[in-house]
Amino acid sequence: MNREIIKKLEEEIAVVNSVDDLAKIKNKYFGKGGLFKLPENFKQLSAEEKKSQGTIFYNIKSKAEQILSQKEIDLKKVLSQDTVKKQAEELGFDIPKIGHLHPITQTIRMLNNLFIGMGYSIMEGPEIETDEYCFKRLNVPKDHPARDMQDTIYIKEPNYLLRTQTSSIDARILEKYKPPFKVVCPGRVYRNEKANKSNHFIFHHYQGLVVLPKTNLKDLFGTFDYIFKAMYGKDVVVRYRNKYYPEVEPGVGPDMQCFNCKGKGCSLCKGVGWIEMGGAGIRHPNVLKMAGIDPKKYMAFAFGLGLDRFVMAKYKITDIRTLLGGNIGYKPYQNENTL
Amino acid sequence: MKILYSYIKKLVPALKADAKEVGEILTMTGFMLDGFEKVEYQGKKDYLMSFEIRNNRPDCLSIIGLAREVAAYYGLSIKTPVIKKLEFGKNKISINVNEEKLIKRIVAVEMENIKNSESPKWLKSLLNFYQINSVNCLVDLSNYAMLMTGQPSHIFDKEKIKGSLSWSLNKKHEKIITLDKSEIKINNSTLIVEDDNEILALAGIVGGDKARIELKTKSIILEMATYDNAIISKNSRKLNIITEAGNRLSKELDPNNLDFSIRFLISIIQENCKGDISSRLFDYYPKKEKAKVILFDPSLPTAFAGVKITVQKSEKILKNLGCKVSKKGKKLLVVLPQNRTDLSIEEDIIEEVIRIFGYYNIKSDNAPALEVVKNITPISFYLQEKVRDILQANGFDEVLSSPLVSKAINKETKYKNMGLVIMQNSVNEEFPELRQSIATGLVLQIRNYLKLGVENIKIFEIGKVFGEENKKYLENNSLGILINSDKKEIYKIKEAIENLLRSLGIENIKYFPAKQKPEIANQFSIFDIIINKENVGIIYKLNSQENKNIYFAEINLDELTTILEKNHGQATIEITQKLVTLDANVELEKEESIYDFLESVQEKINKKNIMAIRIFDVFPLGSKIRYTIRVSYEGLSDQEAKKFHMAIFGLTDVKQ
Repeated sequence: MNREIIKKLEEEIAVVNSVDDLAKIKNKYFGKGGLFKLPENFKQLSAEEKKSQGTIFYNIKSKAEQILSQKEIDLKKVLSQDTVKKQAEELGFDIPKIGHLHPITQTIRMLNNLFIGMGYSIMEGPEIETDEYCFKRLNVPKDHPARDMQDTIYIKEPNYLLRTQTSSIDARILEKYKPPFKVVCPGRVYRNEKANKSNHFIFHHYQGLVVLPKTNLKDLFGTFDYIFKAMYGKDVVVRYRNKYYPEVEPGVGPDMQCFNCKGKGCSLCKGVGWIEMGGAGIRHPNVLKMAGIDPKKYMAFAFGLGLDRFVMAKYKITDIRTLLGGNIGYKPYQNENTL
Repeated sequence: MKILYSYIKKLVPALKADAKEVGEILTMTGFMLDGFEKVEYQGKKDYLMSFEIRNNRPDCLSIIGLAREVAAYYGLSIKTPVIKKLEFGKNKISINVNEEKLIKRIVAVEMENIKNSESPKWLKSLLNFYQINSVNCLVDLSNYAMLMTGQPSHIFDKEKIKGSLSWSLNKKHEKIITLDKSEIKINNSTLIVEDDNEILALAGIVGGDKARIELKTKSIILEMATYDNAIISKNSRKLNIITEAGNRLSKELDPNNLDFSIRFLISIIQENCKGDISSRLFDYYPKKEKAKVILFDPSLPTAFAGVKITVQKSEKILKNLGCKVSKKGKKLLVVLPQNRTDLSIEEDIIEEVIRIFGYYNIKSDNAPALEVVKNITPISFYLQEKVRDILQANGFDEVLSSPLVSKAINKETKYKNMGLVIMQNSVNEEFPELRQSIATGLVLQIRNYLKLGVENIKIFEIGKVFGEENKKYLENNSLGILINSDKKEIYKIKEAIENLLRSLGIENIKYFPAKQKPEIANQFSIFDIIINKENVGIIYKLNSQENKNIYFAEINLDELTTILEKNHGQATIEITQKLVTLDANVELEKEESIYDFLESVQEKINKKNIMAIRIFDVFPLGSKIRYTIRVSYEGLSDQEAKKFHMAIFGLTDVKQ
């Protein structure tokens, strides 16, 4: 009989689908006067029979309880439609504002990543510089007309000025760190020029310095090739000209074939078909000597790239003042693909 | 420097390369082509090319100089103009050289019976290419000689000169009227040419009106000089006079070039204006410059270039460049051509060889396998990058602005007790000062955004701020963030700062009413940000006429770097039991600091058992404030946590 009751219970709860109905069934079986009870003649049984009958009864009862509690767990997993509806939500139409990095920062990061990949360190240096670090230690002697190349903004003539080139950090690194090292230094430089649509008194430079026991122009050109190809693809055309700067010997002017007109000549390249990317070369032995480095033991190559024209072309910015001015805008819900 | 292709061809008759190729090879060897025009000269088709001449090569600010470069590149010889033998007179010109240190060489002659006239057509049209106005034949020839040889000259009308010609530092003259009739005030250190009474020229820069050459001029004194170029460059910069002569003489010209140049000028004057040389050649040249000799290791061009350049190749290039080369053991003894004042050390020779060998012959299609070296990137770099990432992820846009700012915005935003850094000579007078707070750019940016109707403004900037303290200039990296809101919700900027700082691994962040307040801030909504007792920044609400809610915060990133360098916290734990979260109410007097209280509490707690502790609620009670502190215990049972909690906060019972 009691085994049948389990079967009956199973059949009954199979169709139950709410906790309330389950409670009713539970009551029907286990409640006062419920179906589960010891046989009526239990009291009359012998002690031995009581023991064996009782064990059977409790086993079946605990089996039934287990079935019920499992059903209850199962039922609780399934919420009622009402509850589910109550908990439901709409997605809504809010679009969160997203953040953007400045085009100059994005460009610097792209270059940083390329150079970090080649084992370079990233450095920075002061923007207020002294004559010593900005000129003298870069082999530009006092009163030398080479200083006319870069009109300087002075804080206190002749010693304190705003750096005109990021090369000034070279002198500081050379002084502070023992070679060998490979560093790049993105930074701002200042020139005493009137700001207008195409000129600014602040530019962004990307400086590099590699000091090793042995290096050469081929290494320098190879580094540039790698950077330009990584940035513009393998079809980029780059040329290296001889170009004088007092702090290098031999000096190099790296040019890239205009990516806008492919060398035909356009307004971006001012009709010459090439874009000047900056300056470079093997560090002049005087520069190494002034930093206490023996030019017989170490060689160095250095380069400086201008970033502003590149950034303007890439981001289609026509007024250079936008880069540092009050009218740069970002689309609030759209970013460029930053992968 | 401009040059006609026909002139190159005349000077280098064996040249086969066309104008385009010449433009290319000069570009690659150091003289960038920056102009190329088809023109007509003397009835024939020609090309006018323009090259950038860097400061070290004043010898190429001349037609002959550039032609010499072309000849050297192709290994051809140059045919300079032939000068017939000159007949000098017997007179002695009276010239005093009072500044021996500043003058390297002066050559001069007197000429008589000159027949000056208008210039011939070829000369006029040539000068026209160089944007030099034709004056009269004598003056034009002087300019022509300068274009050909690179050496400026000056011609005085002899009849207008009283007594001797003297080169001196100015003592008595206050001004000069120049050839173009402008009046220039001069001071006492200017190098001038004067006669017994009057000033005749600013030496090396520009001639005076006094002894000007006119069509009726019959007799002349013609001089050429080279100076200590620094004095010419200094004077022309100081007086702000830019002339063709000054441009050349402010660079290091070869004094020996005067031998050819003056003879060339005399001969073309005689050809075009007749005239006899009535004097001997005056030649002041106290320290004759000798040709420099350099011992050169011919293996070095290969080492510097990274590709093989043979000894024979080096030797040939140097000879083509006009060097005399002889062998000395394994090295080469190189006697340099004197026109090349830019060459003086072995590395100069290396550059010359590689330059003519051609950079385009150094092929390098791979990234170089350079030695692996130690990473010396400072932690401040990583900090800045991370700050950018966190802020960008939180919806902030980055702006960059000029550190040079107007007086007005610096005054509004300044709060640090430091002197201002002011520019001495900036041509941008509207931006004379370096910013003291990173707020300058952000404030101007938001004003512009609001004017233009940009919504949803959350911006930040990372850059340098500057100041002066104890006569030292200071600069540090600073972060500024700025947001606006429709409602009063300063907590939003605090939240942004807390999110940032805590993401960076910084705890123990406190806020106190600010000690120094900028004008632009609401004096009641301004707080210093304190980390480990260091003041690292400021948060404030901006005053607003239009009742806008604009909030700004600034953090000194260099201070933050220092703090982070010391900070080695660990955020990772293993949660093995359920967390027990308990509250405690604390009543403090208004003046008492809840931060101090929390600090004292934290000293009593074993940090190992704390997951989090924070101020959950604040409720004012008259003169007191009730704070609800919420602590999450980890690794403790309910009972243990309760016991612990009650002990720390001095409670008798705890509700969970």
